[in-house]
Amino acid sequence: MEYVVSILKKFPLTVFALVVLTMPFWFPWIGGYGGLATKIMIWALFALGFDILLGFTGYLSFGHAIFFGVSAYATGLMFKHFSDEIIPAMIVAVIVGTLASVIIGYLTLKKSGIYFSILTLAFGEMLHSSALSTFGSFTGGENGLTLPDMIPSMLGIEMRGEVMFYMTAAVLILGYYIARRISASPFGLILKAIKSNQERLEYTGIDVQKYKLGAFVISAIYASVAGSLMVVYEPYVGTEYLRWSTSGNLVLMSVMGGMGTLIGPIIGAAFMLYFENVLSVPLGEEWLLVLGLIFMAIVIFLPGGFTDGFKLIYKKLIGKKSDGEEN
Amino acid sequence: MSKKSTSDVMLDCYQVSKNFGGLQALNDVNLKVKHNTIHSLIGPNGAGKSTLLNVITGMITPTHGSVVFDDTPMLDLKPHEINQLGLAKVFQTPAIFPEMTLIKNVCIPALAARDGSFKLNMFQKAGMKSIESFAEETLEEVGLKDSIHKEARFLSRGDKRRLELAICLAHRPKMLLLDEPTAGMARHETENTILLLRKIADRGMTMVIVEHDMNVVFALSETISVLAQGTIIAEGTPDEVKGNPKVIEAYLGEEQE
Repeated sequence: MEYVVSILKKFPLTVFALVVLTMPFWFPWIGGYGGLATKIMIWALFALGFDILLGFTGYLSFGHAIFFGVSAYATGLMFKHFSDEIIPAMIVAVIVGTLASVIIGYLTLKKSGIYFSILTLAFGEMLHSSALSTFGSFTGGENGLTLPDMIPSMLGIEMRGEVMFYMTAAVLILGYYIARRISASPFGLILKAIKSNQERLEYTGIDVQKYKLGAFVISAIYASVAGSLMVVYEPYVGTEYLRWSTSGNLVLMSVMGGMGTLIGPIIGAAFMLYFENVLSVPLGEEWLLVLGLIFMAIVIFLPGGFTDGFKLIYKKLIGKKSDGEEN
Repeated sequence: MSKKSTSDVMLDCYQVSKNFGGLQALNDVNLKVKHNTIHSLIGPNGAGKSTLLNVITGMITPTHGSVVFDDTPMLDLKPHEINQLGLAKVFQTPAIFPEMTLIKNVCIPALAARDGSFKLNMFQKAGMKSIESFAEETLEEVGLKDSIHKEARFLSRGDKRRLELAICLAHRPKMLLLDEPTAGMARHETENTILLLRKIADRGMTMVIVEHDMNVVFALSETISVLAQGTIIAEGTPDEVKGNPKVIEAYLGEEQE
C-alpha cells in the first residue's frame, strides 16, 4: 500500500495518464461503455478548470455553464455554417468563451462571497433565457441546435468511437498537466492566498483583482474546451448546456470530489456520471434521491470530499501497519 | 536600505481631515515622519489614530488634505499600489495566510517585490529557489526559522505577529506602519518585540507605531505625536511629551489607570 502511494506521489501525471488511457479496457468491467468514458473525460475537464477558480481562490461561480454553453453553440454554428472540421470550430469556440469570460469576470469579480455567486447566476440565467427567446433563430430555441447526420472530423479523420475517446483523453491529460503546473507556480500560490486572506494580499502589494480575473478566465477556457468537445462528441446543442443546473452539477462534482485538489473534481465528475448512467439503472426513479443522500453524507462526514476519504483510509491502513504485521 | 529622498521627510500628512457623517474623526492633522526614525502615535481611545493609519494605507479617503510618501502623493492610490511604493502595514490582529506554511506566507510578499503587483507566471518554477531562500532569511530574522514548514494557523499569537512582521519585511519596504504591535502580549513577548523592532530600525527602517503601552512607546520612539479628538495636541521627544500638561490632561480626562 505504501508502495502504491509512493508511486502515486512520485509520478502523479504518469499514473493519471495510464488510468485514463486504459479506460476502454477496464471501464466495461464495471458496467461502463465507450461513449460514457468520453463524456466523463469532457466533464472531468470542465470540473478540473472550475477547481482553479473555486478550489484555489474560493470564488464560487454559479454561472460557469455560460462558457460551456456559449462555446458549445459556437462550435455547433461553425459545424452548421462552415465545415465539419473540428480545429477551426474549436478555436473559434474557445475564443468566444474566453471573450465572454473576460467581460463577465470583469463585471462580477468586483463583488465577493454570495454577491459574486448571485451575479454569476444572474448572468447565466440571462443567457439561458435569451438563448430560448432573443437568439432563438441562431440557437434553435427550445429544440436546440440540431445537426442531423453530422460527423465532425479532424483533418479528415472522423471523430467518433475510440478516436474521439483518445482525442478527448489527450486533451484531459494535457489539461491536468497544465493545471498541476499552475498549482505549483507563483501564480498558483497567489491564487491560493486569495482564498486564505484576501485583505492581507492587497496590503502585500498584490493586485488581487487581476489575479482573480486570471483564474476566472483560465477556468472559463477549460469550460470552453469542454463545451466544444461535447458538441464534437454529440453534434447537438441544447439550451440545458446554459442552464443553472449545469453549473450546479459542476459545483456538486467539485464538492464531492474535494475542492482545491485538482484530482478531486475529476473523480467527482467521474462518480456523478457513472452514478447517473450505470448505478441509476437498478435504482430506477429513486437514483436522484440516493445521489442527494450521498452528497449530504459527504458534506457532513467528509468535508474534503472523496480525496479526503482516500487520505483517511490510507492513514488507517498505515496506522495498522505500523503497530501490526499486516501487509 | 532606503533610497535617499530629496527631503528628510519620508511621510507627510498635510491638513488631513475626515468626517464620518457628523463626526469629525480627524481635524487638520499635520504629521511629518522623518527618514530612519521611529515615530509613535499615541492618544486616548477614539482620538483618531486608527483613522489616520487607514488614511495613510489607502483604506479610507480623507475628506480633505494630502498624504505624500517619499515624494509621491498617495491619495486615490489602491492599497496594493501604496504597498508597492514601499509602505507596509502590520495589522492589529495578525493578518497572515493561516492555511499556508510559514515559508509560503513569506514567499508571497517576496514575489510581489520581485514581480510587481501582477505577473502571469503560470509555468515558472525556477526562481522560486531564490525567493524561498530569501523568505527563509526573513523568517530567521524574526526568530521563526525552526517552524518554516508549519502551517501558520498553528502558531501562538505572538509568533503570528512575528510572521506578519516577516511578511511585511519580505517586501523590503521603506516604511513600516505598526498598529499596536504588542497588543495582547505577555510581558516577555513585549520585551522581545521591542528588541526586534529596535534591531530592524537600526538597520535603517522608518516606522510609525500606534501603541497603547507607554513602556513600548518610550522605549522605542524618537518622536511622539499625541492625538486627541482628531487633532495633534503635542509633538516632540519622549521627554518633551511626558512633561506636557496638555498630554497629561488629555489622558487623565479619559483613562483612570
